Amino acid sequence: METNDWDSLLIDYIDQNLSAADRGKVEQALRSDNAVRMQYEQLREILQAMEQVGEQEPPARMTTSFNARLQEEIRAAKQPRTISLTPTVYRVAAAIALLVLGGGAGYWISRHQQQQAELEAMQREMKATQEMLMAMLDNDLSASQRLQGATVALRMDRADNDLITVLARTLTDAPTTNVRLAALDALGKFSHERPVRQALIKALSTQNDPLVQIALIRMLVDMKEKTILKELHRISTDEQLLNEVKDEAHAGILRLS
Amino acid sequence: MTDEMLMKAVKDGDLQQASLLFERYNKRIFNFLAYLASDRVLAEDLTQNVFLRVIRYRTSYREGARFEGWIYQISRNVLADHYQGQKRHRSQFIDVENMSDTLPDNTDAAERDEKEHLLQRAMARLTEEQRQLLVLTRFQHRKYEEVAQIMNTTVANIKVKVHRAIGQLREHYFTLEKI
Repeated sequence: METNDWDSLLIDYIDQNLSAADRGKVEQALRSDNAVRMQYEQLREILQAMEQVGEQEPPARMTTSFNARLQEEIRAAKQPRTISLTPTVYRVAAAIALLVLGGGAGYWISRHQQQQAELEAMQREMKATQEMLMAMLDNDLSASQRLQGATVALRMDRADNDLITVLARTLTDAPTTNVRLAALDALGKFSHERPVRQALIKALSTQNDPLVQIALIRMLVDMKEKTILKELHRISTDEQLLNEVKDEAHAGILRLS
Repeated sequence: MTDEMLMKAVKDGDLQQASLLFERYNKRIFNFLAYLASDRVLAEDLTQNVFLRVIRYRTSYREGARFEGWIYQISRNVLADHYQGQKRHRSQFIDVENMSDTLPDNTDAAERDEKEHLLQRAMARLTEEQRQLLVLTRFQHRKYEEVAQIMNTTVANIKVKVHRAIGQLREHYFTLEKI
């Protein structure tokens, strides 16, 4: 058996922690083995020496000092808790705030720039479409182009003054009835807008296409535009106009009166 | 009231109860630290620090846990922090040459028991953990179960380590005796 193993066995023997069998084994070795017996004597002396080390009394001032510090702790605990912001805390807080603000600002700027770019692209696209549309409506040489332009205008959600002006001119000047009717339909879609309304009222006095005149009278009467009553009286009594146009004007007077 | 009940009261904000815990434990903790630091004045400061930590870290006390195990753990931490801070703890060994200046009151050189002095010198050659194990189990007579809890290990492991420490202490002791 190794020395360390005997150490452990002998310590347990001295501490009286061995079973009867192990105790017998140790006692046998103590009787027959000088080295084990010496090891035992040394361990017993060591353990006895440790056993004899007495406890020390702490100085009385230690209790006094602790009690004073305890009272300080109690006072501190009763005071409202405040957060001690050391320069390091400030720096960390500032860094976090900057990160958050920077991130937020960056995100906002990025979003804003993205939206702005999208808006500009849409505006460019609309302008190009409108220019194309007005070019089509102004094309005196091609009725089909003007009709197509008026049809495209009909699908638009809103119209600016330029488009209204072009549509109103088309309504009056277009060489074919279909183009003028298409322009009238396009303007009718924006009839809630004051410039369109005024353009339609003006067109009633200048329109010379009977089919367009009838359509225009119906539209303005549907819009309950009473300012056209005087013009309707003129039309209804104009001997040069077709009876169908005069009848439509007369019917309009009855509906608006 | 049990230690655990007192500590729960402290945890719940009744800090005055800490004075009772101090009464019960200050001598034990002071001796533990004095044995290990071989310095009464230092042990006095460290003991107060231990109890201040008990108060300041009261919320970390787990209800139901043995208070004794917890305060010894704090004591070990306070000692380790002291050594860490002071950088005066050379390796794992106590400054044996200057020990006579820092030994307890009743260890005046003229009256000091030769065997106890020899024991102190032999102890100084052990590791910090071995010294703590021997102080707890042999000087302060704490059970292996209690020490296992303080050291956060098993009883079997503690027993093996204690026996090994005693074996090494025996070797140092009788080697020094021959010098």
